[in-house]
Amino acid sequence: MAPRIDAVAKARGATRYAADTMLPGMCHAVLVRSPVKHAWIGGFDLTAARAVPGVIGVFTANDMPEITFGRRVKDIPILARGKVRFIGERVAAVVAETRAQAEEAALRVDVQYEELPPVLDATAALEPGAQAVHDSPWEYPGAVVTKADPVNTQSHVTSGDAAEANELLARSAHMVDKTYATPSGHQGYLEPQACVASVQDGTIQVWASDKSPYRVRDELAACLKLDPSDIVVHPVAIGGDFGGKGLIGETPLCVQLARLTGRPVKLAVRYSEDLSATSPRHSMALRVRAGCDRDGRLQVLRVDAVADGGAYAGFKPRVNVDLSGLGDAGSPYRIPAVHTDVRIAYTNSVPRGHMRAPAAPQTTFAVESALDELALKVGIAPVELRRRNLLRGGEPNIHGITWAQCRGQETLDAALGAASGQCPAPAGWLTGRGVGVYDRHTTRAARTSLRLAAEDDGGIRAEVAVPETGTGSHTVARRILAEGLGVPEDTVRVVHVPTDELPYDRGAGGSRVSVGLGAVAAAAVKAWADRGEQNAVTVEIDDDLGADVTSYCVQIADVAVDPATGEIRVLRIVSAVDVADILNPAAHSMQLDGGTAMGYGFACLEDLQIEDGQVWSGTLGEFKLPSTRDVPPLDTVLVTGGSGIAPLNIKAAGELTNVPTAAAIANAVAAATNVRVRSLPIRAETVWAALQHERTTTGGRV
Amino acid sequence: MKLTFHLNGRMIELEAGPTAFLVDVLRSTGLTGTKEGCGMGVCGACTVLVDDRPVSSCLYLAPCVDGADVWTVEGLAERFPQVVDAFVAEEGMQCGICTPGQVAAVCALTLEKPAAAEPEIREYLNGNLCRCTGYQTIVAAAKAALDA
Amino acid sequence: MTDPEFVAPTMLHHVLDVVGVDDAIIVSGGTSLAVMLKQRLIEPEKLVWLGRVAELKGIRQAADGSWRVGACTTLAEVAASPELWRDAPMVAQAASVVANPRIRNVATVGGALVHADPRQDLPPALLAAGAIVGIRGPGGERLVPLRNGFFRGLMETAVEHGEVVTHVCVPPRRDAVEAYRRFTPQSVDDYPTVSVAARLERKDSGRAGQLNLALGGVAPTPVLVQTDVANAAAAARAAASPTSDERGSAEYKTAMAEVWTQRVLAELLEGET
Repeated sequence: MAPRIDAVAKARGATRYAADTMLPGMCHAVLVRSPVKHAWIGGFDLTAARAVPGVIGVFTANDMPEITFGRRVKDIPILARGKVRFIGERVAAVVAETRAQAEEAALRVDVQYEELPPVLDATAALEPGAQAVHDSPWEYPGAVVTKADPVNTQSHVTSGDAAEANELLARSAHMVDKTYATPSGHQGYLEPQACVASVQDGTIQVWASDKSPYRVRDELAACLKLDPSDIVVHPVAIGGDFGGKGLIGETPLCVQLARLTGRPVKLAVRYSEDLSATSPRHSMALRVRAGCDRDGRLQVLRVDAVADGGAYAGFKPRVNVDLSGLGDAGSPYRIPAVHTDVRIAYTNSVPRGHMRAPAAPQTTFAVESALDELALKVGIAPVELRRRNLLRGGEPNIHGITWAQCRGQETLDAALGAASGQCPAPAGWLTGRGVGVYDRHTTRAARTSLRLAAEDDGGIRAEVAVPETGTGSHTVARRILAEGLGVPEDTVRVVHVPTDELPYDRGAGGSRVSVGLGAVAAAAVKAWADRGEQNAVTVEIDDDLGADVTSYCVQIADVAVDPATGEIRVLRIVSAVDVADILNPAAHSMQLDGGTAMGYGFACLEDLQIEDGQVWSGTLGEFKLPSTRDVPPLDTVLVTGGSGIAPLNIKAAGELTNVPTAAAIANAVAAATNVRVRSLPIRAETVWAALQHERTTTGGRV
Repeated sequence: MKLTFHLNGRMIELEAGPTAFLVDVLRSTGLTGTKEGCGMGVCGACTVLVDDRPVSSCLYLAPCVDGADVWTVEGLAERFPQVVDAFVAEEGMQCGICTPGQVAAVCALTLEKPAAAEPEIREYLNGNLCRCTGYQTIVAAAKAALDA
Repeated sequence: MTDPEFVAPTMLHHVLDVVGVDDAIIVSGGTSLAVMLKQRLIEPEKLVWLGRVAELKGIRQAADGSWRVGACTTLAEVAASPELWRDAPMVAQAASVVANPRIRNVATVGGALVHADPRQDLPPALLAAGAIVGIRGPGGERLVPLRNGFFRGLMETAVEHGEVVTHVCVPPRRDAVEAYRRFTPQSVDDYPTVSVAARLERKDSGRAGQLNLALGGVAPTPVLVQTDVANAAAAARAAASPTSDERGSAEYKTAMAEVWTQRVLAELLEGET
C-alpha cells in the first residue's frame, strides 16, 4: 500500500500550518487578556502602548462590530465589550511590525477594571439569587434558555422520566448512588490556535487553524456583515484537533484587524494562552444512580450532571447546546428506564468546548465505575454484570434505536480473550483488572464536495473541501477514488482547495470524515464515468446515509499499585473494537492507539486545575500530556466482519478508545486495592491516603 | 546583533535581537519546519540540532548560536534521508505538528546512540510529545531509522 | 523593556568586569532563564553569556582527588562522564534524569545550582556528595560548601550580585555507596514529588557508617540529613517541611520522603552484601 500522501512533506517539515503563512507586509497581533475574573471595564489608556516603536494600532471592542458569535448560542464578543467574564478573556489587541513589539506594547495597555463578585462554582451558579455572568443570556441568538431558567443556565437537557426512574430505583433489589467528578482538560493539540488574514482587492483571505473552513467563512460573513463570497478560507494543515479546532475563535478579530490596519495580520497565540484561555473540556460532577434485580439485570439508570461551561456557551454546536455523551449514558446496555438530567452552567472561568467524544469519557467513567460498584453489591464479577446486560442484536437501545448489528458480547469476549494471561508486576505491588465498555454510533449525515479533473500527465486531480487534521483522511480519499476509478493510487493527486473552489463542506469532526469522503467519492466516480466530453466534474452531497450503525469498544486495564506510595502503574490496556471494513489500516490503528493514550491521560494525568476561576496548569510543564514512557503497553484486537455505513461499509474510529479507558483503570485500581476513586485524574496520593485510612481503621489488609 | 553561523550546512548571516529565541529566528528565514509548541522546552516540537546535539529552539537564545552549526528539519531531511524514509515507511505521524521535532530527535539519536534498543529509544524520545499517535509508530520509525 | 545588551566574554576576568555593573544577569545554559524572560519575571539590562568561557567548562580531577566540574559543564556532559559514574554515581545519575536530552544538552551544573529550584535533580545529589562550590567575585575566590549555607531559600543562594560560580568540587565516594532516586507518581516526565540522594559511608570494619542524605522537593531548598542507617527514615521525615501543591500534599510528601529514604537505603545495603 502506498504511504500516506502527507508523510514525506510532514517528515521533511514542508507541510504548511496556519502559523507558517508568511505574506508580504504582514504584521503581528498580540492579545491583551483580562487578569480578573469578572469586572466592568472602566476604561482604557492606550497611549503608552501606542508609543511603543513598531506599533501600528491598538484596538478595543470600540473598533469591532457590535455582534457576538458562536457555534449555536451567539454569546462570544470579538473583544470584551463593557465586561470581562474570565481570566484570559480578550480585551484588546495590539498590532505591530513584529510579534516582540506587539508583546511589548500589550504589556503597556492600561485597562481599568471595576471588579464584580465572581461566579466560581457551577452548582452554586444555578441556585436562585446567584450573581449573573450574563445579564440576559436568553437574549443571545441561538440561546436555548428562557428568563424562567436559573440565570446562569447555558442549557438544561433531560431525557426519560424522573418519577419512573425513582420508582424503579426504589424497587430495585440492589442500588448504587454515587457521585463522580471529572476535571477540565485541554485537547492537547500541539499547534496553538493561529490565524492569518489579509484583505486583497476587497476579498478577505484567511488561513486559520480551523477544521471547518466553510463554517469559518460563513461565520465571518455573519460577524462582519459581509457576503460569504467576499471571503476565501485557504487550506492549511491542522496541527491536531481533538475537538478544539472548530471554534472560529480569534478569526473574526484577526480579519477585523487586517481591515483596520490595511495590512495582512498574523494572530498566533502562545501555548500558555491556548491552555488557559481557549476551550477546554467541561469539568463535571455526575451523580449516578443505578438499580438492578437480584441477578444483576439492570432496571434503571439515572444520571444527574452539572457541567461547568465557563463564561461563554458559544463553543457548543449542538441544537440543544448539550454534550452528546451525557444523553448516551447507559447506551451499551439493555436498561428499561434511563433518566438523565444535565445542566451546563455559566461561570467566570474559561469557556468550555468540545473534546474528542464530548462528555462521553466523563459519563462513561462515572457509569462504568458505578456498574462495578453495583456488581459488588450483587456479588457477581464486573464482567458478568456486563455480560448479563449488554444489548443483543435486535433489541432497541436506550434511545429506541435498533442497530443494524449489535456486537457488544462479541467485543467483550474478544477483549477477554486478548487479555488472557498475567501481566508481570513489580514484587509486592497489588494487582487488579478492570473493564470499561462504550458504544458509539457512526454518523449517518454526510455533507461535502469533491472535484475530479484530468491532468496533463494522465493523472487525476482530486480536489477536496475537508481539511486533513491528521487522521489520514486525504490518503483515504485517494485510496477510495483510485479503487473506484480503477487506476493506480499514485495517479490520483488529492489536493485540499480554498473555499471558493468547491461547494460546502461541514468540516472535520464527529468521526464523520471518512463516511463523507466515502459517499462523495462514490458520487464522484459515478459522475466521472458519465462525464462525456468534460475533463472535470464537481459533485456535492448532503445525504443521510440511513443506516443505524454502532461500534462497541471494550477495554481491559491491568494495573499494579504500590501499596507504600499509591503509585499506579498501568501494565497493559487491551482494547477490543468492533469494526467493519478498514480503509487505511495504519491510520486506523493510530487512531485507536492515540485514543487509548488520550484515555490514559484523562485517567491518570491531565487536570487543568481550574480553581477559583483560574487555570493553574498553565503550561505543558504542569498540564502533563502522556509522554513516550508514560503510555502503557497497548494491545488492540479488532472484531472484524462488521456491517457499517454504505457505500464503503465503514465505522467511525476516532472517538472510541479514548472513552472507556478511565473507567477501566479506575475499576482495575479498585480491584487491586479496594479503593474506589471517584474523581479524576486518579492520583497516587488519593489511593495512598485511602490505603492508609484502611490500615489505621482496620489494622490493615495490606 | 549580527549573527554568523552555519545553517543546514551553509554559512548564514542575519540580525537578531539579544533576547530573540532561535525558533523565531529560524522561522523568520522561511524555515518554518521548526514549530513552536509549548514554548517551555517540554513538547519538543521546536527541536533542532546545535553542534549535532538536540536542543529546544524555543529556549535557546539566538545570540548563542553565533559561530555554531545549526540543523533544522529541512536540512536534516537531506542529511539523514534514512530517518525521513523511516518515518514515511512506518507512518510515524498523524497531524504532523510534532513530526519535525521527532525527526530531529531521531537524527540526533542516530548520532548519539546508534545501537539504542526500544527502552533507550523511548527514554530518548520521552520529551518529544505527540498527541495523535500513541507513539507506537514513532518508536517504530526510530527503530527503522537506526536499523537503516 | 529596551533590549538588553548581550555580551559573551571569553575570559573569566572579563566576565567579572561586567557582571557587577548595571542590572546584569548571567546566562549559562539559559533554559530556566529563557522561561523567566518569557514570563517577564526578569527584565535585565545586560545578559552576560558564559558559553564562550573555556575555563568554566569540563570535568577534571583536582590534587585531592575530588572532581572539579566547571560551572558551564552541561548536564549531558556530567551524565556522560565515566569518572563521575565511578566516583560520584548519584551525581551522574541525577544529571541523567533531568527533563529531556534537549534540556540536558544546554542546562549547566552552575545554572542548576544558582537557579536553586528545589524541584531540580542535581542539587540534592551534589549536596549529599558534600560538594563545594567555587565562587569568584571582585574580591577573589571563595569556596562555599553546599552543606554550609549555599542554599539560602527558594531560588536564593549565597552567590551575590557581581559574583560568578566557576565550578563545583565533588569529593569521590571512595568506598561509600550512593544512589539518587526521584519519585514521579504521575508522568515520568515531571518534576519529582520527592527525590532522595544518599551517600552511605563505610566504617573501617566495612559496616555501614555515616549516611549523608539529601532530600529534594520537601522544603524551599534541598535538605541535608546526616544520620545513620537506623535513624534515617525518621530523620528524613523530621527534616521534611514541604508545602502542598499539585505534586502532593505536605503530608504525602513527608511520608514519601520517608518511604523513598528507606528504599534507597535498602538498595544501598543490598549492594553492600
